[in-house]
Amino acid sequence: MRKILLLALALAPVLSFAQGFQVNLEGEKQIGMGHTGTGLAQDGASVFFNPGAVAMLTENYVQGGVSPLVFQSVFNPSGTNEQFHTANKIAPPFTFYGVWGPKDAIWKLGLGVYTPFGGLTDWGTTWPGKYSSEKLDLKAFYFQPTLSVKLTDYISIGAGFVYNRGTVDLTQALPLANNAGQPGQAELKGSGHGYGWNAGIYFKTESGVTVGITHRSQVTTTINNGNAVFTVPASLQAEFPQPNQFSASIPLPATNSIGFGFHPSNKWTYALDFNAVNWHAYKALIFDYKYTTPLLQNTNEPRQYQDAFTLRAGAQYQACQKWAIRFGGGLASAAAPDAYVTPEVPDAARYYLTGGLGYKLASRLDLDLSFEYEHLFARTQTNAYTQLSGTYTSHVYIPGISLSYHW
Amino acid sequence: MKNLKLYIYILAGFVWLSACKPELHTPKPSSGSADFSRYIAVGNSLTAGYADGGLYRAGQLNSYPSIIAQQMQSTGGGTFTQPLFSADQANGSGYLSLTGFNPDGTPITAPVTSNLAIRGFQAIPGFGNVTLYTKYTGDLNNFGVPGIKLQQITYAPYGNLNGYFERLLPGNSPTNTTSYLQFVTAKPFTFFSNWLGNNDALGYATSGGAGDVLTDKNTFAYLYNLLITTMTANGAKGVVATVPDVTSIPYFNTITVPAVLGAVQKANPQVQALYINALVSGTTYAPRAATAKDLFVLTFPTSKIGQPVETPYGTLPYGLTPYSPIDNQYVLDANEVALTENYVSFYNATIKSVAASKGLAVFDAYTFLQNIKQNGIVVQGVSLNSNYISGGIFSLDGVHLTPRGYAIVANEFIKAINAKYGSTVPLADVANYPGVKFP
Repeated sequence: MRKILLLALALAPVLSFAQGFQVNLEGEKQIGMGHTGTGLAQDGASVFFNPGAVAMLTENYVQGGVSPLVFQSVFNPSGTNEQFHTANKIAPPFTFYGVWGPKDAIWKLGLGVYTPFGGLTDWGTTWPGKYSSEKLDLKAFYFQPTLSVKLTDYISIGAGFVYNRGTVDLTQALPLANNAGQPGQAELKGSGHGYGWNAGIYFKTESGVTVGITHRSQVTTTINNGNAVFTVPASLQAEFPQPNQFSASIPLPATNSIGFGFHPSNKWTYALDFNAVNWHAYKALIFDYKYTTPLLQNTNEPRQYQDAFTLRAGAQYQACQKWAIRFGGGLASAAAPDAYVTPEVPDAARYYLTGGLGYKLASRLDLDLSFEYEHLFARTQTNAYTQLSGTYTSHVYIPGISLSYHW
Repeated sequence: MKNLKLYIYILAGFVWLSACKPELHTPKPSSGSADFSRYIAVGNSLTAGYADGGLYRAGQLNSYPSIIAQQMQSTGGGTFTQPLFSADQANGSGYLSLTGFNPDGTPITAPVTSNLAIRGFQAIPGFGNVTLYTKYTGDLNNFGVPGIKLQQITYAPYGNLNGYFERLLPGNSPTNTTSYLQFVTAKPFTFFSNWLGNNDALGYATSGGAGDVLTDKNTFAYLYNLLITTMTANGAKGVVATVPDVTSIPYFNTITVPAVLGAVQKANPQVQALYINALVSGTTYAPRAATAKDLFVLTFPTSKIGQPVETPYGTLPYGLTPYSPIDNQYVLDANEVALTENYVSFYNATIKSVAASKGLAVFDAYTFLQNIKQNGIVVQGVSLNSNYISGGIFSLDGVHLTPRGYAIVANEFIKAINAKYGSTVPLADVANYPGVKFP
């Protein structure tokens, strides 16, 4: 076991560190500990972190949480000393988990509703990149019923079916000026769905170290008949038929994780997670329109994302019966390769630091608070498709709160 | 209740945190070894901000020197004053506006004739009528004069023949005796841009080789040397631009021989060729069938083709026989193209060598526009090319630029300046300038 660990650590710097538009806010206890949890069985959030560990939970859970965040980016166009900021818009990724099984049964049922992918960037209508993107609001909710079975006292497995509901709303300016010199506008707004699955295995080793391995499959959100609204000068309106519809498929990539839990004393719990996200599935963002014209063609913008990796570590200190203190952090590599960074997802390698507090409100009721600071390293890029050239950097402050009832 | 309070605290903390936006540290812009405290722009219509077949206030406000000067503000640039038409006479000389499209997709334009700044006409014997515009008085940094050739910069009576120059001078036509070169160098300056020379070739080309002549090479070399020597005499630094290939502009690439022939053949399948009066050599012209290498001007009224014309050989259809060829003024034929290119490449060699000898920055507009013609260009998510109207760079006259085109040119000047003088004049936001305006 130690060998594997060392190997994982040795790999870490080489692989550097997963994100694109992945959202890693799936449980306040876990956020507090650096968003680890694949190798632990802490609460209902195991439905997400490792369905294999659900059967090892000693209690039943109903819990809900929210982690409101503002993703703040700044862009400095190449060759200028100007800075453009995204508007402060609050995105509220939330979680709900339920886990139930008869006392002492070898199985448990789970249900998770969570937001594993999303993005909210609003650069406004006057910034230099407006012909690439003005606003993106992407949300992907997963509904995941889960069954987990304890094979022995030391090994359990679990799997879930994923139904995904996604909504996208994006706007960009069109370089067709009206008599007042104002550019046209395109808004693509629609919702779609997709399917996937999630499976995991959980071990308790003799040394006391717990290990989890999971796979979350790719889910492709397919949007059909989304609304495509084009505001253009009247003399060109015939070239942009209204109403018009679009279809698109957005791949939400598969994630493979391995995680370890260490329990050196009653007071301390350590966790280490490693994730590989198969971002290579995101090759291009393609929009097909129901009606096309010489001026309105289907678009195919290359993205060429590459697989990304995350290393996370965290700890929990159970100070007393009522209070637990948590902290952690992680490093993630960029999914968007050089020359394919776009303003709606100003992706970059990043690190994050987290902290958390757990408070027992009552014997069966936990209140958990978490806080995360995430920083995306500055990245100077010229997009190969749009030639938008400049430096991005971003950061995110994410408080979170959850309540868990367990019995 | 307790939870609610806690939640309020969290929200408050959140609002507070959102106030700390991420920042990037950019170096303070510097003027390098140049001094931008008084920048002047020398040139023709492109420098004046001419667009859509006219000079008007909105075009002036978007002139490339004005954009450059705005960008120089953060690097010690002084105020930059342009000879703007007043708001009441904002439409200046008048210009073309796009009013719609025909069912076949061809554009419909209409002249804007209200709120002009025309104050009268002056008949000049042996030259003709000169349109006079409302005088501009006051400080001046943009000396762009539409129509001026390098060949005319030392010609003392020029201020009586060009209404755009006349409006800048204190005296009235026909009493002016200040040459353009004297006028621009009358007041000291620290930095200049010079984009003269285009009309020395363009005047000949746009008249189909019929209404004007190419400026003699030796004259061009002599005057360019004189110009730059005079401009740099007091130590001013500057940037100059080369003359674009006349065939890289939509004025010559929109109405093509194959397209016109195709349209004629659709109506009349027997037609084999269009006939033009083409340059043979020297000043000898002879009729021949047109090929794709002959360029029609944008203003060619194609409806003339096939109309009966009286000739010594009887009544013949216009443009369809060797005896009734298309008028020379509508065609820059292959030999005229070659002749123009030969002169332009000489002019550009002169410009580059004079600039090098004085240590000036050079924006190679010839190469830049040639490259756009061949490959197009993508700027900040906007795909642009040299096509008429749809290309986004050239205005409705097919020669001059749109605000976006001028912003791109301004940035090329800035890049050349920064590269030469080690300055960091910030680039303009091209996305902020519109292309062709559609109704």
